[in-house]
Amino acid sequence: MYELAKKALKMAEQAGAEEAEIYYVASRSTGVNFKKDALENARDRFSEGLGIRAVVNGAVGFSSTNSAAEIENAVKVAVAEARVRGNDPDWVSLPSNGKYPQVSGIFDKKVEDLELEECINYAVELVEGTKEIPGTLPTSGGFTRSKSKRLILNTNGIEIEEESTAVSGFVDVITVNGDTSTAYDFAVSRSLDIDFFALGKNASDLALKSRGGIKIEPQKTDVIFHPFAFSDIIEEAFAPSIDADNVQKGRSGLIDKIGEEITVPDLCIYDDGLVEAGIETSASDDEGVPSQHTTVIENGVLQTYLYDSYTAGKAGVKSTGNGSRSSYTSPPSVGLRNFVIDYPQDDIIANTSSGIFVNTIIGAHTANSISGDFSVEARNAFTIKDGALDKPVKSLMISGNAFELLKNITGAGFDVRKVGGIITPSIRVSGMSVIG
Amino acid sequence: MNSIMQDIKFYDCRVIEGSSTSVVLDNGKIEEISRNFTKGAGIRALCGGSWGYTAVEGDINLKRGVGAASKLAFSMNASTPKEEVELAAISSPEVKDLPEIKIDPRDIAIEEKVDLLKSIEEHAKIEGVHSTKVMYLESEFKVEYQNSEGLECEYELLNVGFAVSAVASENGVYQAGRESRFGYGYELFEKENVLELAGKAGKTALELLKAKTPKGGEMPVVLDQELAGVFAHEAVGHASEADLVLEGDSILENRIGEQIASPLITIIDDPTLHEFGYYPFDAEGSESKRTEIIKEGIFNSYLHSRETAAKLGGTPGNCRAQGYSMPVVRMSNTFIDNGDSRFEEMLAEVKNGMYLIGSRGGQVNTGEGIFQFNAEKGYVIKNGELTGLVRDVSLSGKTLEILNHVTLVGNDLKMTAGRCGKAGQLVPVSDGSPHIAISKALVGGA
Repeated sequence: MYELAKKALKMAEQAGAEEAEIYYVASRSTGVNFKKDALENARDRFSEGLGIRAVVNGAVGFSSTNSAAEIENAVKVAVAEARVRGNDPDWVSLPSNGKYPQVSGIFDKKVEDLELEECINYAVELVEGTKEIPGTLPTSGGFTRSKSKRLILNTNGIEIEEESTAVSGFVDVITVNGDTSTAYDFAVSRSLDIDFFALGKNASDLALKSRGGIKIEPQKTDVIFHPFAFSDIIEEAFAPSIDADNVQKGRSGLIDKIGEEITVPDLCIYDDGLVEAGIETSASDDEGVPSQHTTVIENGVLQTYLYDSYTAGKAGVKSTGNGSRSSYTSPPSVGLRNFVIDYPQDDIIANTSSGIFVNTIIGAHTANSISGDFSVEARNAFTIKDGALDKPVKSLMISGNAFELLKNITGAGFDVRKVGGIITPSIRVSGMSVIG
Repeated sequence: MNSIMQDIKFYDCRVIEGSSTSVVLDNGKIEEISRNFTKGAGIRALCGGSWGYTAVEGDINLKRGVGAASKLAFSMNASTPKEEVELAAISSPEVKDLPEIKIDPRDIAIEEKVDLLKSIEEHAKIEGVHSTKVMYLESEFKVEYQNSEGLECEYELLNVGFAVSAVASENGVYQAGRESRFGYGYELFEKENVLELAGKAGKTALELLKAKTPKGGEMPVVLDQELAGVFAHEAVGHASEADLVLEGDSILENRIGEQIASPLITIIDDPTLHEFGYYPFDAEGSESKRTEIIKEGIFNSYLHSRETAAKLGGTPGNCRAQGYSMPVVRMSNTFIDNGDSRFEEMLAEVKNGMYLIGSRGGQVNTGEGIFQFNAEKGYVIKNGELTGLVRDVSLSGKTLEILNHVTLVGNDLKMTAGRCGKAGQLVPVSDGSPHIAISKALVGGA
């Protein structure tokens, strides 16, 4: 199919496309999964396919296929769809002139070459880690490695090919005696630098410590969000509002806020496709625009929205390299790259006299992505007393608003963690409303 | 290779071929028309207690696929041997009573679909609504199943549906109203009054702008059909999935035969209904059948795959997969069955509390039996009457407590189509309920 990508581009031109683009991805992944403490299955997945964008009279048609025999048909369908759509006055063009930055750390040959037996060993390490803490049992989890190759071609001369790898470990645990509590831990990386044993141990440790949770009174208090919890809120309740597509369609809480102070003055937020070994790092975005470092918030002031080439053309600005696709079956749309939260760090728990520490939350995806309002259930939460974690809290609802939250940040920890593409320390927010 | 195959006691293949079309209309403009053609297969092999799984996209050599999956299973079993997996016996499914399609969406020109979307959008864009989006989805696929026991079966299904959303704003506050319908055959767009639904989405967005955020706390509540359906699916349905039970991740473990809910509560999973979670046989070739999960308050049955049915005793038929992914135990059409109360009785019963309507999703911890759902909106109930509209309200609590605190069950069952995520896979489902009244629940607000 790889060999057919260039041919497909020609076919699209012959079928009447003024501009055309082929987005090809081939990937192979291997997963070894366990249920309770026994390895249950091993999975291999081979995936290969391409997506075609065809432009006719300023309108884009899209189709995709994973079958070589269907490519010609798919090309014709994309061109025919473009004709049905009719002229789009906001369309400028597909990207051109890609001069690409050097990125590093996204491909590790060792990951590509892993034998099944080694994958099994990593999964066993996750399980063994949980056994370090008596009184807990894993419920499920696993190890995955993947390797993928991406090729982007368009009729404006873009041609970029990149290979990348990823490994991940996930473990979910439950306590076995007395009061039931659960916890999980996970990590994703470009290379084999994850301590899988420690992941399992951490999850078990957290589950055990969370037993015997107390009930607390409804109150407004300082809440420290672990990177898992904080990244969830950022992704679901804040990030949609800096997506230029949402801004242009009136679905953002940050319309007309460029240049305004929208957060505490010490906060900076970057979107960065170039982070060394980042999960969202690559030389180009998913439509061939060179990746870049974009300052979204500088000392509290909103600097820019994030653009793919379409929304950038519509706004008359340059794409920020945020064209993103979940698969070859979808056309690009605006998506985060590595998203870095930067705030002056300190020994955050020790410097909190009283409050709540929240490890993870459930329900962040139910946030109102426009207004930023959220109401979530805190998991593995603990009270903080005199600068130390004190008692586990059984059930806790936290309600708030993402924009207000960013105005009330009062601290960040040293514990910076890559939660997928979101890179953040623990963050302390004052005056959060909690219901126990 | 031959020596490996001697140790493989079971294998099966699912070949799926299909295509899908989506059209997105955004603020009056066609934002996307896309088509996707796919072909691929998912192949399982079982060796001792270990499964090997190979998913291949594109053109498939089944024999090679079976070989690859067998090798994975064999290696797993060799390096970490464990108790043999047994599979509950099944017989060849009878593929019958598929949803009837009167108007084939493939016979409708794309221009006509675009025109329909445009009129849906116009109806959503009532005065005060400043942004709208309409989506049309159509997918057809053919599933061919075969296994090493000689079972072979196949079916074809064709889904259509649409979703509309409207956003209104005022003084920097944004609120959205959403409606969607999914089903079989283009006649869906005649059967459901789609233009009226679009208008409803617009009205909801406007109403929510004026709504207040309530004070949270513990109080009696009435749930509408959609939110109660989400509760049935998320809180009860998932906890009854036998794979989670076997993982020790369900509060319903060892509870069969016990009274776990108010006797008013009967919860059913039924893939034979022509709702969005319909299938004639599951991803293991087991014929679909109705399961009473809770019968008049008594926990009656888990949902099973062949493996879990053999382990726990039960009937398979709820093993499903998204595309070529490895099948897991899933729900289909899950609902709280009708009772005999009227809505007005519920308001009188609750007297002072909250009426919670619709769902913006939620999550559940099946191991601890706690959940949290965000309602789309609600009304404060004062002296048995609906008063002010509220927004940003959520419901949370312990699954078993809520089940026991149900005081009235309505007679107005309604199903809602959606997609359920588990193990990283989305499958079409529906869930529903009549209105229900609950004597005590935790409502979250500002």
